[in-house]
Amino acid sequence: MDIILAVLAILGFIGYVLLNFGAKLPRHGHGDTFLAIYGLCIVLTVVVGLFVPWHNVFWWQEPTAFYGIYGFAACVFLIYAAKGLRLWLPKEENYYEKKGGMK
Amino acid sequence: MIEWLHPGLILILGAFLIPLFKGKWRQGYLLIPPIAALIDVILMYLGVFGDIPFSTWRLPFLEYELVFGRVDRLSFIFGLIFTIAALIGTLYAVHVKSSSEHMSQYIYVGSALGVIFAGDLITLYIFWEIMALASTLIIWHGATDKAHRAGFRYIMWHIAGGIILLAGIVIYIATTGTITFNVIGWSSSSTYLPSLLIFIGFIINAAVPPLHAWLPDAYPEATATGTVFLSIFTTKTAVYVLARGFEGFDVLIWLGALMVVYPIFYAVLENDLRRVLCYSLINQVGFMLVGIGIGTALSMNGAISHAFGNILFEGLLFLCVGSVLYRTGTCKCTELGGLYKTMPLTTAFCFVGAASISAFPFFTGFVTKSMVMDAASNAHMSLLSILLLLASAGVFHHAGIKVPFFAFFAEDAHLDARDPPFNMLLSMGIAAILCIFIGVYPYALYQILPYPVDFAPYTAPHMIGQLQLLLFASLAFFVLITSGLYPPEQRKINLDSDWPFRIAGAKFMFFFEVPLMSFATWMDNGLKRIAADFTAFGEEKEERVLIGISVMLALIFLAAYLILELLYQWIFS
Repeated sequence: MDIILAVLAILGFIGYVLLNFGAKLPRHGHGDTFLAIYGLCIVLTVVVGLFVPWHNVFWWQEPTAFYGIYGFAACVFLIYAAKGLRLWLPKEENYYEKKGGMK
Repeated sequence: MIEWLHPGLILILGAFLIPLFKGKWRQGYLLIPPIAALIDVILMYLGVFGDIPFSTWRLPFLEYELVFGRVDRLSFIFGLIFTIAALIGTLYAVHVKSSSEHMSQYIYVGSALGVIFAGDLITLYIFWEIMALASTLIIWHGATDKAHRAGFRYIMWHIAGGIILLAGIVIYIATTGTITFNVIGWSSSSTYLPSLLIFIGFIINAAVPPLHAWLPDAYPEATATGTVFLSIFTTKTAVYVLARGFEGFDVLIWLGALMVVYPIFYAVLENDLRRVLCYSLINQVGFMLVGIGIGTALSMNGAISHAFGNILFEGLLFLCVGSVLYRTGTCKCTELGGLYKTMPLTTAFCFVGAASISAFPFFTGFVTKSMVMDAASNAHMSLLSILLLLASAGVFHHAGIKVPFFAFFAEDAHLDARDPPFNMLLSMGIAAILCIFIGVYPYALYQILPYPVDFAPYTAPHMIGQLQLLLFASLAFFVLITSGLYPPEQRKINLDSDWPFRIAGAKFMFFFEVPLMSFATWMDNGLKRIAADFTAFGEEKEERVLIGISVMLALIFLAAYLILELLYQWIFS
C-alpha cells in the first residue's frame, strides 16, 4: 500500500506538471499523451481512494471521493465568484491617479 | 562556553561596511554577514552559548531591564529560518549595484531578528519600528513614481500600527509593572485595553483583512530582489509575536479563517503575478493564525512549521517571478506566456515552489499545512475545516496553477528571455532543494519544533485526500480553460479595503490644495494691499509691503498685549 501511495503521489505531481504543457497544445506533439497520463492519475486517485481506511471526523467527509468532488466544486465556485466580483472591483490601471490627490 | 552574539547585530553592523567594498569584492563581502548570522544561530542550537533556553544581553533601562537575547525553542526556529532566508535572498540579490538597497535589506533582516530575540516589550518595539522604516526604504528602492507613493502609503499604515502598539505597551507596563514579553492574553479586565491595543498592533503587521491592504499595494512596487525580502520578514515576525503573546486566543481562529478565504478571490482576479503571490502570502499567514488560535501542541507546531516552510516555498515563488521580471521587465499575466522554452530552469524551480505551496505529497507544504488541518478537525471545528479545504483548493488554483501556467505556458508571448544569472539560479536551487528535503524527510523540521511532535503526515487518507483535492481542482481549471469558459485576464487593478482611505485621502488633499489654497492666496493679496497702504515710506511697492507688514505685526502684538493685560486685570482684580 505504501508503495502504491508513493507512486501515485509522484504520478500525481507529474500529471499536474504535464497538464500545464498539455492544456494549450492538445493538437501538437505529445499534448494528447500528456493529458492521458494526467487523466489516468485522476482515475487512480478515485480507485485507490475506495480502498483507503478513512478516519472521518465530520459527516460531510463520508461520500466517495469527497475531496475530489469538493476540490472540483471549490475551484469552479472560486472562478465564477471572481467573475462576479469583476462587476465591481477591477478598475483601470490609472484609476487612483485619475481620482487625483493621494495617488 | 563563549559569549552569545546577536545574529541581528551581525547583519546591522555588516550593513554599514557594504559601501567600503567595490565590484567583485563587494559581491563576496555581501555573503559574509548572512553566513556568519546563520552559523551563529546553528551554534546556538549546538549549545555553544549555553543550554537552550537562556536569556542574555541584559541592559538596565530606567527601573527595568532590557533583554536583547532571549533564546528558546520558539525564537531559535524563527532565527534559523530568518537567517537561511537572509542568505538565500542575499545570494539572489548579489548582482544588484545599489549599496543602499543592500544596506536597507540587512538592517531590515537584522531588526526582524532583533524582534525575534527580544525578551521584553521595549526592545521589541524599538526593533519593530526599525523594521518598518527599513522596509519602507526597500520599497522606495523600486525607484519609480508608483513605488515612491506606495512607500508613503505603506509607512502610514505602519506608523499607525506602531503608535497603537506603543500605546498598548505603555499602558500594559503601567498596569502590570512588568516589561517582560510573554503570554499577554486577556487575563484580567485591567489588562483588557492594553492587550487589545498590542493585539491590533501585531495583526496590522500580520496583514489581517481589512488591515491588509498595505501588503499587495506596496510589496510589488519594490525591485525584483527587494520584494523577496519584504515577503519574508514582516508577516512572519508578526506570526512569531502572536505565537508568543496570544497562543490559543480564540479570535485568531476566525481572523485566520477570514484571512485564508478573503484573498483567494483577489488572487484569481489579479493580473500582476507579484500581487497574486502577495494575496497568496496573506492566505498562507491565515493558516498560521488559525494554528496559533487553536492553541494545541499540534496546531502550534503546525503554525510554526508552516511559517518555516512558507518562507521557503513562498520565497521560492517570489524568486521565480522576480527572475521573470528581471529578464522580461514585466510580471503581468496579460503580457507573459510561453517562457518554459526560454527559461527552463526557472520553470522547473517554479513547479517545485508551486507544488510545495499547494501541498503535494513529498513537498514541504504537505507536511506543514496538514498539521494545521488536522488540528482543526481534531478540535471538531466543522465550518473551519471546510473553509480551510476551500482555501487549500484556492491556493492550488492561484499559486499552483495560475502562477506557473500564465508565466511559463498559456499563449506564447514570444518574449526575449533566458534563465537568470547563476547567483539567482543558485538561490532558487537552494530553496527548491530545501522544499523537497523537508517534504521527503519532515522529521528534520519536526525535531526542532517548540513542542514534541506526535504526527505522521504520510498516511493513506492524508495523501489520497490531498491528491484528489488537487487533481480535481486542476481538472476544473483544465475544463474551463480548454472550453474557453475561463475568464480572460484583464489589464486592471482591483479595489481593496484601502479604497475608502485613498479616496477620502484624495478628497482631503484636494480640499487643501484647491479651495483652501485659493482662500489663502486671496487673504494674502488683500493683506499685502492693506499693508502697502500703512506706510508712506519706500519707493517700490515691495518695500512698502515689507515695512507695512512690520508695522502691522508691531501693532498686532501691542494690541494682543493690551488685551491680555486687560483680561488679566479683569480676572484677577
